[in-house]
Amino acid sequence: MKKNQEIKKSLAEILELPKDIVLDIPKITMVGNLQLYIENHKGILEYSNTRIRINTKSGVLRVIGKNLLLKSIVVEEMVIVGEIHQVEFTD
Amino acid sequence: MLVLAIWNYFRGYVIIKIEGLALEKFINMCIARGIYLWDIRRINYTTLEAKVGIQGFKILRKLTRRAGCKVYISKKNGYPFWFSKMKKRKMLLMGAFFSFILLMVISSFVFKVDIVGNEMVSDEEIITILEDSGLRPGSNRYFINIREIENNLLVQIHELAWVGIELKGINAKVEIVEKTPSPQRISKDIPCDVVARKEGVIERVIARNGDALVEKGDIVSEGDLLITGIIERPKMETPLYVHAYGEVYARTYYEHNKSMDLVKVHKEKTGEMFTRTIVKIGDMEIALSRGDHPYEVYILEKTSKKPIQWRNKGLPVEIITEEYYQAIEREEELDLEKTKGMLHEEMLEEILQQIPKDLEISNSKTSFLVKGNLLKGNVIIEVVEDIAQQKQLQVEKLQFEED
Repeated sequence: MKKNQEIKKSLAEILELPKDIVLDIPKITMVGNLQLYIENHKGILEYSNTRIRINTKSGVLRVIGKNLLLKSIVVEEMVIVGEIHQVEFTD
Repeated sequence: MLVLAIWNYFRGYVIIKIEGLALEKFINMCIARGIYLWDIRRINYTTLEAKVGIQGFKILRKLTRRAGCKVYISKKNGYPFWFSKMKKRKMLLMGAFFSFILLMVISSFVFKVDIVGNEMVSDEEIITILEDSGLRPGSNRYFINIREIENNLLVQIHELAWVGIELKGINAKVEIVEKTPSPQRISKDIPCDVVARKEGVIERVIARNGDALVEKGDIVSEGDLLITGIIERPKMETPLYVHAYGEVYARTYYEHNKSMDLVKVHKEKTGEMFTRTIVKIGDMEIALSRGDHPYEVYILEKTSKKPIQWRNKGLPVEIITEEYYQAIEREEELDLEKTKGMLHEEMLEEILQQIPKDLEISNSKTSFLVKGNLLKGNVIIEVVEDIAQQKQLQVEKLQFEED
């Protein structure tokens, strides 16, 4: 499995393919500290006003902030708004 | 995002409260089933608030038991809910509809007739003719032929030069222009006198017909007989009545007084300032800043802005900014000669408006008087003008006709 991943990664680099599609890892976009846009998530693990944990292929993404709100959520993507302080990957 | 909000409104959505322990699991299940949830908000540890579409909500209810949660609807929102509510209240809709129709119907009637511009012709006379033609408070605007009424008025009242009727909402405005009466002309075969139109000192009398009664140097006042139309000679038994006419030139005087302050008060800004903002909607003024200015002496500068203007039309909204600057009064004495010059010019300008333009000014006199801080000026202008005016002989006319 690990080897498979390595091959895919090098293949993506050689062919200059977008890594988020080839490797099925999340693509995260932030607008200032107001909005966080996550594509390719694998569901939420924890949700509160101050902390959101999201499952992704690259590990668990933890968002810490104030007044967090799940603006919208569908299979592929989700939008979080609020005052975002920290975004980090934890294993 | 506004488009999305409008779309959601038309599709209809509910705000739900989800209670349970494994709420994240519930959300994940919703996503997997393709239920679109938005504005998800954590209220407390066991409660979640979210918005969901009507279709989504139907599927969601089946999921609740499996996720071990309870779902309550806290609010129904959107057009489908509003519509079904309205369906039950048909009379409300009917009432709204009928009140609208009633408003339209009533506003098509004329409630008030205003007559503007008449001086000689009385309001009553015009109103009677208007009523006969069909324009009265209570008549419907769609059954009034404005052109016809205008013509009617012009035909029936000869003193009118122009009539314009304007229907503005429920008000009818009748604008009237009267004919300016032409100066009374006395035909040549009717005997008359020549009298003075105004007072003056006679300069020259040219009696083309009739006997001159005044000569150079005589002082006449308004209405005095200048040239008589009754000619009596010692040898004649009955006097001869003629149509007297001629020119009588007299020196007439125009006088004008004006005063001016010799001390001018200057206001100087100290630098202190107070700003007030006022929003004006139509005739209503709303002050946005509180309080009044704290200065005794101040200079006020007003600026107004009208947002969205297009060809002089726009929103009846005006934003007025008033800036009060604190000021100190400083007195300054003006130069006497300069002030005299200014006052003289101003007085001349004002007096020349009273004097007919074709007259020649023969003499003018200006005098000044200083009284305390006040400079008083007086200007007298002397002109030579024709003061002759014909006046019909009333009593004698009858005798003349009998002859």
